[in-house]
Amino acid sequence: MCKDDIKEGIKDGIPIFLGYFTTALAFGLLTRSSGFTFVEGVLTSLTNFAGSGQFLMMNLYNGGAFLLEIVLSVFFINARYIFMSASLNARLKNRKSIIGRFFAGAGTVDEAFAVASFKGEKLSYSYLLSLMGTSYSGWVSGTAIGYMVGNILPEIVQSAAVITIYAMFASLFGNEVSRSIKAIIVVGISAALNSIFILCFGISTGLSFIISMIVSVIAACFIYSDEEVFLNE
Amino acid sequence: MNKVTMILLCSLVTMAARIIPQFISSLDKLPRVIKKAMLLLPTAALGSLIFPLALTDFGASWYAGLGGVVIAFIAGLKRTSMIVAIILALIATMLLLLI
Repeated sequence: MCKDDIKEGIKDGIPIFLGYFTTALAFGLLTRSSGFTFVEGVLTSLTNFAGSGQFLMMNLYNGGAFLLEIVLSVFFINARYIFMSASLNARLKNRKSIIGRFFAGAGTVDEAFAVASFKGEKLSYSYLLSLMGTSYSGWVSGTAIGYMVGNILPEIVQSAAVITIYAMFASLFGNEVSRSIKAIIVVGISAALNSIFILCFGISTGLSFIISMIVSVIAACFIYSDEEVFLNE
Repeated sequence: MNKVTMILLCSLVTMAARIIPQFISSLDKLPRVIKKAMLLLPTAALGSLIFPLALTDFGASWYAGLGGVVIAFIAGLKRTSMIVAIILALIATMLLLLI
């Protein structure tokens, strides 16, 4: 264990902590308005630690999807971690520790991956785990506080609260468009397909989501050039 | 559906995707097109995550959902922090529900 590495990990983790904490507030609020208990809401964040995956799970759960559809969709949307985790593994200082690798894998989230990837040197477990731990504490505490705050909100706010999940996706969509206008086309294809499947053909929410996601990601591979996608590598 | 089962199964597939590559390092050499698809998946999923449920969840007041989505989108486009985007959308939706 190296004290300097721990310090640096926490320092780099603070901006992630803030971002996660505020997003998790919305997640906690959402679990409450979806009929989850406090323990179920916090358990989701404790065991999943995956922003988009957890919001997706709630979305499909509220839409009445089947268990298998939900789990499969969550796997698809989180499959990118396979590549992120493998890439971090290649940059570890010591690749022998089983416990170290286990936690470095479990803590691989988008923002921690991005921050760690831009570090010029080989990564120590002290650095990586304190970076990930800081992010994790923001995610879990935000969920708990978001759930509790939900208790004191007036009813009109609670009935409008279902918008929080879509607002989160819509703001991510806005972010993507500000980076590349092509996002409008990809998101548009996926939105149109999903709406047609559900509203015109009455396909179940979960299955419709899986099909729309696969078709639009194939389209996205043609629409985006390799350079745009691998920019951060 | 048992919520705890759902939560733990989602955790299992997510954690498998993160932890297994730490022990099978050949996964770093996946075909480039697969990597590309994995990185684009979250963007591609956004459309289906928003529509049509953001509208249908509000039933006859579908425009309240649409208003919230549009406000959050604009906030995101201007790179406002996510919590601000969410609060603005919440206010917009609340106002539209009151009409």
